[in-house]
Amino acid sequence: MLENLKEKLTKSQVFRSIFRHGFPDNDMNRAYVVFSNVFLHVHPVKVRRSALRMRYTFCLGGITLFLFIMLSVTGIWLMFYYTPYTGLAYNNIQDLQFVIFGGNLMRDLHRFAAHGMVLFVWLHMTRVFLTGAYKAPREFNWVVGVLLLVMTLILSWTGYLLPWDQLAYWAVTVGTKMASYTPFIGQNGPWGAQLGFLPTNDIMFMLIGGTVVGQNALIRFYVLHCVVLPLFVTIALAVHFWRIRKDGFSGPL
Amino acid sequence: MENKVTREIFPRDARKSYGLVELMKGSNPIVKKEPEDTVYTWPNLIMIELICALLVTAGLIILVQFVHAPLRSLADPSTTPNPMRAPWYFLGLQELLVYFDPWYAGVVLPGMIIVGLMTFPYVDTNPKGVGYYTFSERKFAIFNYSFGFALWWVTIVIGTYLRGLDWQWYWPWSDHLVHMNPALVTLVPLHIVFVNLLHVSKDVGKALCDLLFFAYFAVGMAIPYFLMRKFYDAMGGARYVVFMIFFLSMMGVGLKIVLRLLFNIKYIVVTPWINV
Amino acid sequence: MSTAMSGTGNQDSLKDAATPSDLGRRKFMLAAGWGVVGVTLAGSTYAAYKFMFPPILYEPPTVFKIGHVTEYGLGVDERWKLKGRFWVVRNMRGIYNMISICRHLGCTPNWFPDQKRFRCPCHGSIYDVHGNVRGGPAPRTLWRGQITKDPVDGAVVVNTVVRLDPNPSQTPQGLWVKEKVKEIKPFWLEHSPPPGASCSSNRLLC
Repeated sequence: MLENLKEKLTKSQVFRSIFRHGFPDNDMNRAYVVFSNVFLHVHPVKVRRSALRMRYTFCLGGITLFLFIMLSVTGIWLMFYYTPYTGLAYNNIQDLQFVIFGGNLMRDLHRFAAHGMVLFVWLHMTRVFLTGAYKAPREFNWVVGVLLLVMTLILSWTGYLLPWDQLAYWAVTVGTKMASYTPFIGQNGPWGAQLGFLPTNDIMFMLIGGTVVGQNALIRFYVLHCVVLPLFVTIALAVHFWRIRKDGFSGPL
Repeated sequence: MENKVTREIFPRDARKSYGLVELMKGSNPIVKKEPEDTVYTWPNLIMIELICALLVTAGLIILVQFVHAPLRSLADPSTTPNPMRAPWYFLGLQELLVYFDPWYAGVVLPGMIIVGLMTFPYVDTNPKGVGYYTFSERKFAIFNYSFGFALWWVTIVIGTYLRGLDWQWYWPWSDHLVHMNPALVTLVPLHIVFVNLLHVSKDVGKALCDLLFFAYFAVGMAIPYFLMRKFYDAMGGARYVVFMIFFLSMMGVGLKIVLRLLFNIKYIVVTPWINV
Repeated sequence: MSTAMSGTGNQDSLKDAATPSDLGRRKFMLAAGWGVVGVTLAGSTYAAYKFMFPPILYEPPTVFKIGHVTEYGLGVDERWKLKGRFWVVRNMRGIYNMISICRHLGCTPNWFPDQKRFRCPCHGSIYDVHGNVRGGPAPRTLWRGQITKDPVDGAVVVNTVVRLDPNPSQTPQGLWVKEKVKEIKPFWLEHSPPPGASCSSNRLLC
């Protein structure tokens, strides 16, 4: 009876329109499941047996990607309660921490997954370096990887401001003040003042939308952290994976 | 082909428009792979990835039972926490800011680190060591990478454990709750050292410093060119110059930190616009 | 193809042959096309750049009425640090204020009365009571804000946006500025010392 229902279901027009193959219990369907699925088709249909041994990649890039996905998911949960307004942001975080069911878990996971992502990007980079995997023809993918590292760091930094606590405020005050020392386009940088840059028109003003870190800085960092940078990271990740498939693996994969 | 199994059975050749196709018995579609050495991605690789993801999730969930994301008091422009520590991955940057002016430590140096990392594949001309772990075949490359990141990790350790109140140097055995008196030594630019030691005028001292600075780069550029010709020839002019600029800058950063910590040198080169 | 491009002249020519004038015209059209693209890109870049600069700001107040000089004792007074982010310093000759923003990277230094030093918790900059740099990475002396007397009630008014920032070049380190360069109007108010104060016990404020 149950078997019959399952048979009916899996043979139905609706099911067949979604999954174009049967259960992957034979070789043909195992191939189908990979190349007919948009998410799985970043993989080749078949891999070398040696690729299953972990001692080459240690899964570091995969863990980094997984942490990014985890950050996106936990970040979206946090966004339901967060208001990018200086009068509310801190209270929202406190609510998440003390009142809202699961809020603390989401916040902790978000924070530590972020630490982990920085660490694993670095570990992954070290692995790629040590195995010489950046050498021709994979040079450009290393460049994309460095861009991803930079974006990871900027994501962490922009995320730091959002709780609007002391750590947030001063990390961002110092960080943006550093921008004001940029040569030629910062008010404090070499040849910045000579070129007419003031606290009200230089690169730091553009970053924080004011002369001191305040409401404009918070909303700017919020937009960068939640929309702009994740979008750029996703695009760069797509290029990164695409190039791995196109250029081939360096090791015994 | 029978006795020697290369990693690439059917080498790709851009000049050929045809490919070698083999028909054999079996139920597996195989492209560009040794027939007997491959397995299906599903479920073999996918399961490994799934287990990896689950382990990471489990690890994180266990971790957050013991440590929690910090939340300090409400942002307050009138009081800075003491000491104000950046997140660990920026501690290296924070420590560099002690040794260099902000335009260099905060803007130019990070920019150079990023661009320098990007140039790796273009300046590393060693064809060996692709696809396996090796130290003996790429000693110099690995030394460079390790040196750069050792600097990064050492500054992180300094920032985490050896810096305390007022961003002073605290040894692990000193009392981290007592404000230390600021060091009585004064930081001096290098040319003042020359003025005091060699009894020359200030301008001559400055000129000596400038000379020293450029001599460092010039000699650094010249030594491998004359003494390690093989190294230069393998790279070619453009790669050599790009690599040496980044290499000497990296070494220079280490040198300046040593000069600061041991001899209290504030600047090497002093100009009306920039000091390094 | 060429007839379609040039429009006139060689209607009967079916070959893709172009006269020199055609080539010149094509070159011009190409340059003009790229020119339009370039101008559009430059224009939108400028517009985006301009968009990021708000012409109106909602920032904390910068002008404070801090009462009479006689309400402040000799030395550094921290009562306005929380509200206005500046210190009031009274010495034997008068009164001035210093903005409590570290000149290095903008943290708020702390005042240590026992050490007679301002010390920044972020990167370890050290300033003395005059705002001169005594250590750490700070590149300039502390700012002094405008300080004037209200013409109506004679109270002292501090404006933290109008700032004195003399070029420090009077020591080998280039980080000290003589007090008389900084004790100028409107960044300093002359006032007689409080009764009973003597130069001998307050060397630094003399």
